[in-house]
Amino acid sequence: MTALAEYAAVPARRPLLARRHVTPALLLLPCLAWIAFFFLVPLGLMCWRSFAASGYSLHDYAALFTSPLYAKVMLTTLKAASLATALALLLAYPVAYVLTMSSGLRRGLILVFVFIPYWVDIIVRSFSWLIMLGDHGLVNKALINLGIVRAPLELLYNTFSVLIAMVQILLPLTIVILFGAMLRIDRTLVAAAKIHGASGWQAFRTVFFPLSLPGVYGAGLLVFVLSLGFYVTPALLGSPRQTMIAQTIMVEASDLLDWGQASAAGFVLLVITTTIAAIYNRYFSLDRLWGGSEP
Amino acid sequence: MIETSGFALANRVRMDRSTQSTVSSGAQVRLRKLSKAYSGLAAVDGISFDVPAGAFVSLLGPSGSGKTTTLNLIAGFLTPDAGDILIDERSVADVPPHKRNIGMVFQSYSLFPHMTVADNVGFPLRMRSKLPRPAAQKRIAEMLALVQLSHLGARYPRQLSGGQQQRVAMARALVSAPRLLLMDEPLGALDKKLREQMQAEIRRIHRSVGTSVVYVTHDQSEALTMSDLVVVMHRGRIAQIGTPRALYESPADAFVADFIGDSNLLAATVIESGREACKVKMHGGAIVGTPPAPFAVAPGAPTFLLIRPEDMSLQLQTCAQTDGREQLPGMITELSFHGDVFKLAVTVGDDVLKAKVAREQGGSLELGRQVVLTWRRDAARLLPPASDEASGIKATTP
Repeated sequence: MTALAEYAAVPARRPLLARRHVTPALLLLPCLAWIAFFFLVPLGLMCWRSFAASGYSLHDYAALFTSPLYAKVMLTTLKAASLATALALLLAYPVAYVLTMSSGLRRGLILVFVFIPYWVDIIVRSFSWLIMLGDHGLVNKALINLGIVRAPLELLYNTFSVLIAMVQILLPLTIVILFGAMLRIDRTLVAAAKIHGASGWQAFRTVFFPLSLPGVYGAGLLVFVLSLGFYVTPALLGSPRQTMIAQTIMVEASDLLDWGQASAAGFVLLVITTTIAAIYNRYFSLDRLWGGSEP
Repeated sequence: MIETSGFALANRVRMDRSTQSTVSSGAQVRLRKLSKAYSGLAAVDGISFDVPAGAFVSLLGPSGSGKTTTLNLIAGFLTPDAGDILIDERSVADVPPHKRNIGMVFQSYSLFPHMTVADNVGFPLRMRSKLPRPAAQKRIAEMLALVQLSHLGARYPRQLSGGQQQRVAMARALVSAPRLLLMDEPLGALDKKLREQMQAEIRRIHRSVGTSVVYVTHDQSEALTMSDLVVVMHRGRIAQIGTPRALYESPADAFVADFIGDSNLLAATVIESGREACKVKMHGGAIVGTPPAPFAVAPGAPTFLLIRPEDMSLQLQTCAQTDGREQLPGMITELSFHGDVFKLAVTVGDDVLKAKVAREQGGSLELGRQVVLTWRRDAARLLPPASDEASGIKATTP
């Protein structure tokens, strides 16, 4: 019956520029214009410069792939990003789960506490870790006063401090993405598991957890891509050994003024990120994060 | 409140069963003064009823009548504020859902989307019994055969039609031979034809497994056709418990009469009340005889007169010889054809009465025609007036 009604509603001839095509296009236009001018054009310029600066050659790219520095920095970046992503997911999952299972005031309160750090600027948050983790910082003072350690631990300017700050910055976003994905899990499925003999833990393990995995994969990708580009945090809290690719590009561009080299590095980072996202999306379809169907 | 003896019913059910191969027996469920309120509002208000072992009991009522809450209390998803539930004479107050040994079919089927049909059906076996793998496989195959889906075990739920998902949900609920099966409006999402087919299917499966069933529905015809016993619920309370036939023929009040089946429910005033017969005056002034009221009435008291439309017949002229029939002259003001029957409305003075006549008797019917409406006096029934606002019934007279 519905099909028939729809059929009847379709006019005999549809003009190419029918109203219903024009309106969405108009609505998208401001956003598309913004993206084109402030994103696509600079990106094009960057790509052009990466070839043009060396007299239209692949010289700057060759330098990237022959210098051991870039390989090392890229590896550090991938390692830090993977670790931060894994830790963020691990810490965010229980919080997102509790958020999903609670309601009303409790859910509201948890969300506020998740978001408060999110509203604070990344630089401020990174600096606050300097204060927390320094030799005379809160953590070391507490440890010494409690008699657990005698001399202050070296908590700053190493992989530990970079990771802890990265994870803290990534957590709110990770929690919110996971929470959104978990909300879409049909809770009567858990009830169905329970009435058919599953204890609370079994119902979680056999039904809720597997159904939450698409959300975990999706959140993982978004957080990973985000953490590849971290700049302020490793710059403030890391040592040269924790240098990440964004810092290197910054040094090339603003200290060495080698814009060609910086552009080439930026472009390679973009290609690597896009490739990872594409491969990942091939196996763990991101659509599922937005409610698309499973494979 | 009219109650059918649970014992007699259980016997009847058992006799029905004796012709079938009984796989498992059903549990006896007793609800004792069960109450549940949500933020001060009583969803279920002190209800008590019994589910005889092996019986098919429907909870019938409009939305918000508390039937789903009752089902969730039996399942253990909700904790009662007061009262108790006994399954096989044992209180289940402290038993979590997964230890109640209940099967359940949900309104949206709630099949696990990440498991195949066979894994869905096998789920209770994996959770409940440590059945060795071959035995479990055999049991799953048996259940799939029972619901006629043997060829679809490797599919995923989303690859099945609504009716097929329904069958999988049945198979999953019954695979571990639970003694009690709960069903929450399981056919609500299906179209009419498939729904009728599945009603017969559910009855067949119920007969072959012998499990007690508590079935929630708002569809009165579904409750009538499927159940041994129907519990009519209204605003958190039980309006009436009885066999489908008892509810239809002897509704306890205007709410039940109106909710179950088509009815003429006419506001009237008692004129004469006797042990053998009564006389009432209808809203429009017509006076008709009725059987004695099943409750105390005095002349002048308000009452409801119930006559089922199918008990009405039409003739062209008033007969002198009435032999136990009432007759009222009127005019046909509505007429519709339904395949097997004509449904029509006859206006008699200020009253409008509904009638239903077989197709072959409808040849000369037309709108505006003067006819005489007749019915057997003992087919009519007097019902108590709505005691309070709660029954929410409006008489069919304007």
